[in-house]
Amino acid sequence: MNALLQVRGLDKYFGGLHAVRDVSFDLQSGAITGVLGPNGAGKTTMFNLLTGFIRADSGTVLFDGHSLAGLVPHQIVNRGLARTFQLARPFAGMTVVENVEVACLAPRVRRSGKPRERAHALLNQVGLGDQAELEVDVLPYGDLRRLEIARALATRPKLLLLDEPFAGLGAGEVGPLADLIRTLHKSEGLAILLIEHKLREFMQLVKEVIAMNFGEIVAVGTPAEIVRHPRVIEAYLGTAQIGGP
Amino acid sequence: MTILKVDWIGALFAVSLLAAIPLVFGSSYIVGVMTVALCYGMWAASWDFMSGLTGRENFGHSLFIGAGAYTAGFLNVNFGANPWWSLLAAPFVAVLFSLLMGFPTLRLRGPYFALAMLSASAVMQNLTIIFSTYTGGQDGLNGLFPILDSTLAYYYLTLTFLVVSAFLLKFIANSPWGLILRAIRGDEATCQAAGINVTFYKIVSLMISAAVAGLGGALYAHYQLQVGPDLFAVILSINIIIMVYVGGMGSIYGPIGGALLLNVLTETLRGLSEYRLWVYTVLLVIILFFLPQGAIAPLWRRIRSVFA
Repeated sequence: MNALLQVRGLDKYFGGLHAVRDVSFDLQSGAITGVLGPNGAGKTTMFNLLTGFIRADSGTVLFDGHSLAGLVPHQIVNRGLARTFQLARPFAGMTVVENVEVACLAPRVRRSGKPRERAHALLNQVGLGDQAELEVDVLPYGDLRRLEIARALATRPKLLLLDEPFAGLGAGEVGPLADLIRTLHKSEGLAILLIEHKLREFMQLVKEVIAMNFGEIVAVGTPAEIVRHPRVIEAYLGTAQIGGP
Repeated sequence: MTILKVDWIGALFAVSLLAAIPLVFGSSYIVGVMTVALCYGMWAASWDFMSGLTGRENFGHSLFIGAGAYTAGFLNVNFGANPWWSLLAAPFVAVLFSLLMGFPTLRLRGPYFALAMLSASAVMQNLTIIFSTYTGGQDGLNGLFPILDSTLAYYYLTLTFLVVSAFLLKFIANSPWGLILRAIRGDEATCQAAGINVTFYKIVSLMISAAVAGLGGALYAHYQLQVGPDLFAVILSINIIIMVYVGGMGSIYGPIGGALLLNVLTETLRGLSEYRLWVYTVLLVIILFFLPQGAIAPLWRRIRSVFA
């Protein structure tokens, strides 16, 4: 079976910094996979490379059997690969439903129903139905996260990249959002790749983990395997020199 | 009443008011002032359509105005073309200029578009002076034919073009297209993540903006029967931006009101001779200080809230 996403030898330098080195992995359709790693491991850079926001120095990305080389972000979204941002970036000065409606106007989904109606349906799906007509500027941070997801879903993605969806959320908001992501994955068969730091929710959510450090993939495995993997422990805690000099 | 109904009644009222002005004040002086004010209205509305909605400030709108006006001048004076052709050719040439400017600069984020527009209009102003054999230099091109013989009829022609372009711009601004332009103002990266081709929307919006500005330039040229390098001047662009701010950015109708208001104000203050600029500037500062959202659009929203 062909993978939905095939990443081969992805490389990115920022000046002298080798931000992403020789990253290769496969994602199957409908998979839910996490990317783990300390700050500066290259996780967000990898997301930006996959979604065309920055250009790779070398390497190939095949999505749904087609190369994404040379495509700009809006073209990649219209191929069915959507993302959310680490910091929620709503369209200021517009209402909540208008924020989602914009994405319903993307060429990929423009003819999949009335944009305004689809936007309302998506807001209901992520639990923001009652806030639809509010100005987006008054939404609390947790709701902005849901809005980001609704906007990404509006483009009917086959693969959704979530960049730290739980970042900045209060304890009471994390559980419901994790449930939403789980539901999307199960009921829609949506493939999800997410970056996260909040380990407990993250490990319960994903089936497979890609662990990164210093721009490299250091381990791939189930959550249970990953937390015991020596190179992952080393990435977070450093190397112990028991009995050393 | 619904908001839309009140808006329509308001628009109808404003148009009737403008149509009634020559009937109430019969003097050809006032009709002339108002014809010029209507041209400014087209320039302010077209500026607002691109820059007010997307937030990409255009500091050289006079580039399109001058391009339209000189197109009318060349066709009419140098080639003796029927002046009606100006109204077709001027928007076309202005759109060509917008493509020339938009393709390299609107693909970038940052101040490049604003600065390129500013420089291009200044360069064009100097080119018209340098190539004086063709452009008449400082004196410009003189002896354009009027499109209509009566100034009164010409006022109504200009009013018709203003009303039609204003309705078109407002219609697009209220459509999904306008929603996308406002989203571009909000955040370009999010727009791309929403699958929207941001550059395409910005360039086409600039083309529409340029077409209306160029048409206004031709109408202005055939009123003055003369075109000069000042039509490319940076100060003209700045004046238009001030009119947009006074009217209320992003509303299309507000900037038209701002243009009419400031043109009438300038003429009213003419009696103060050398103190005119002082008073004008002080009034502007007062308006912009106390009404940062502008005067016309917020005023209309307040009136509307009484009825709807």
